[in-house]
Amino acid sequence: MAREVIRQFLPLLEEEGRGAATDDSAGRDRHYLPDTPEEDPYQAGHRTCAGCGPAIEYRWVLKAAGQDTVVAGPTGCMYVANSTYLCTPYTVPWAHTPIASGGSFTAGMAAGYEALIRKGRHPGPYPNIITMSGDGSAADIGLGAISGALYRNHDALFICYDNECYANTGIQVSPTTPYAGMTTFTPYGKAIPEGTRLPPKNLARMMAEGHPHCYVATATVGYPVDLMNKTRKGLNHRGAAFMHCFTPCQKGWVYQTSMTVEIGRRVVEAGLFPVWEYDPAERKYRYFHPPVQRPVTDYLAMQGRFGHMLAEHIATVQRQANRNWETIGMDVPAELRAGEDPEHHRRLRDETYSMPLNRGVGA
Amino acid sequence: MTTAGVEGAWAQKRDYGPGSRTPDGERLLADLAGTRKRLNGCAAAAYAALYANVDVITAYPIRPYTAIMMNLSQFVADGLLDAEYLVADGEHSQLSAAFGAGSCGARAFTGSSGVGVTYAYEMYSIISGARIPVHMSIADRTLDPPGDFGSEHTDALCTRDMGWLMGWAATPQEVFDKTLIAMAIGEDPRVLLPQMAVQDGYFVSHIAGEVEMPSAAQVDAYLPPYRLPFPLDPRRPVSHGPQIHPSQGPPLQLERARAMEDAIPVIRQKTDEFGATFGRHYAHFVEEYLLDDADIALVISGGHSVTCRAAIRLLRERGIKIGMARLMWVRPFPSDDLRAALRHVRAVGVVETNLGLGGSTYGGILAPDVTTALYHGQNRPLVTSFMAGLGGETVPAAEFDWMAGKLTQALERGAVEKPAHWVGFED
Repeated sequence: MAREVIRQFLPLLEEEGRGAATDDSAGRDRHYLPDTPEEDPYQAGHRTCAGCGPAIEYRWVLKAAGQDTVVAGPTGCMYVANSTYLCTPYTVPWAHTPIASGGSFTAGMAAGYEALIRKGRHPGPYPNIITMSGDGSAADIGLGAISGALYRNHDALFICYDNECYANTGIQVSPTTPYAGMTTFTPYGKAIPEGTRLPPKNLARMMAEGHPHCYVATATVGYPVDLMNKTRKGLNHRGAAFMHCFTPCQKGWVYQTSMTVEIGRRVVEAGLFPVWEYDPAERKYRYFHPPVQRPVTDYLAMQGRFGHMLAEHIATVQRQANRNWETIGMDVPAELRAGEDPEHHRRLRDETYSMPLNRGVGA
Repeated sequence: MTTAGVEGAWAQKRDYGPGSRTPDGERLLADLAGTRKRLNGCAAAAYAALYANVDVITAYPIRPYTAIMMNLSQFVADGLLDAEYLVADGEHSQLSAAFGAGSCGARAFTGSSGVGVTYAYEMYSIISGARIPVHMSIADRTLDPPGDFGSEHTDALCTRDMGWLMGWAATPQEVFDKTLIAMAIGEDPRVLLPQMAVQDGYFVSHIAGEVEMPSAAQVDAYLPPYRLPFPLDPRRPVSHGPQIHPSQGPPLQLERARAMEDAIPVIRQKTDEFGATFGRHYAHFVEEYLLDDADIALVISGGHSVTCRAAIRLLRERGIKIGMARLMWVRPFPSDDLRAALRHVRAVGVVETNLGLGGSTYGGILAPDVTTALYHGQNRPLVTSFMAGLGGETVPAAEFDWMAGKLTQALERGAVEKPAHWVGFED
């Protein structure tokens, strides 16, 4: 006879004044998190770069998920840098999958555990099942597989760690590479001064709109408690969940390695990566309204990949940011609205902005 | 011994025991035991999966294998089979999902046809290299172009060097049996390899034959529960498929090559055990038909062997000393058994129902393997091949007669005319 599949429940961490979902500027700099789990299923022993955003994301997500978890890692930098034969940074079961198989392999794991537990072949409880797909995997080659898995509503959390390029292969353009973010497939030059000409896909929105029964959220490494709680909400959600996590890539974006978390906040404060949650029960989006709104130059100027940008390119990005502010229901301050005019800017190398951290150009 | 044959406490644990069946499923199998059912090849494969109590089924539609999945979806819908039935978004995902399920310790069943088989191509090496014994049921279909539903073995044969056990069944009964035999071999801890049980599209997949239905107890005795020694299980964390340093490549590839060789004795053992359990005895690797006194012989695989056997009987009545060697497995390729079967034969013709464009014979895929196997024997017969039944065309007795004529001519001349004949296009 079929047995009941017992599922886990992960309690949420206290967020008041600490998370992205709360609108409290006072807690913004509180990094001391005594209530987070001590266990680290993502351990030392990997070979990621100093200041690696995806490694930070991996650590917080697995901390939130805990030990009773199974992870699939499609090909990407977090496959190549993390796993070396005869050595592993994971204390949870982890499997490499082909780059297009993040959604499908994970669907198979979920189906496998449903059947194994139901048929009495595994004692349970149902493990937390997570896939960590890069943006190339999730937004490009494996998009169909993740969409299929969300459509079928497997009880699993599908995460896209987004470093806005194919970083593993040497910084090539992906569908989430921002407009004017240069990559080795979209270098800037006389004929193409902006480098990347296309605006990015809105991956998380596509997942939420296209799979309205799923829990969908966006997060960044700038807000760890928010990231952990969204991980837990996604895992607690009975059915498929998708989380799009902004994870800066020091190697690909060319910034000072200590600035990963700061960039994870500034991208939100510049209006370029709205942080939100989609509640499938109410079919509503809950947007995080950051306490600070910055001009996009405060974000762009920190990174060498934008160092070639000309005035009209900056104005284009500011336009995108302002539309994002409107979408999430925030007023666009007059100064930011003025930034839609190229006359308002100089080329990025000559701009003045807060915290001038990178004067380099490159990817 | 390969590393996959993990010794130790975990591998010995009687965990991942037999899965429960549904009450209706148990009643059905009890009623079926000892009866004969008229099933086509697709239904026979589905019934084998039902008996094997598979845990996860991953489907995607493409003719003609679709009927296997249609039968299974009905079993699940009727509450006869407790399995997760997953309709994937393409064959690549279909194989990936079966891979994921198999990696967690679930018995995974999948399948495809034609370009569906090749759409999933990336997955074959990865699944076999990970040593996950997924089962794949293929009903052959011609690759595009031309757009064609007919059977041609090229689809499955394209994947022949990817580390899967691969063999053809010639009747619905054989499809049923081969499915169980392949699972028993592939899941054996000494082997741990994925398997393709292949049947010709339409000739086998859609033509009914009588299939003997065993009892569930017989199948359970023959096919133990799926127990991967290293599942993705939080109780004992493992990492699958890490990156390696190039210096680690040669030994790992050697292990994969040896895994194929190591499967050979297990295939013999499991084939014998199957005969002892179910009373149907198959040749381990090469079915020999009238070879003892044959001067010439045809080497063949799959459903056309049924016609071939009948044609050979008629040729024998006319005094032509011809026999047939049927390949029960194409991977691992049965070099030793084929050599032994053809040790007295002086001219051999390989019937190619596949396309190997630009290969060493400028014909098909099998002849180079057959020729290599025979080259290393004491008796080196003349070898040629016949391109027949392409695009799903039948291979009638008259064409087998023509092949026999070509082999007789080769014997008289002491040399073959050419390495590959296109039957129907030559005098």
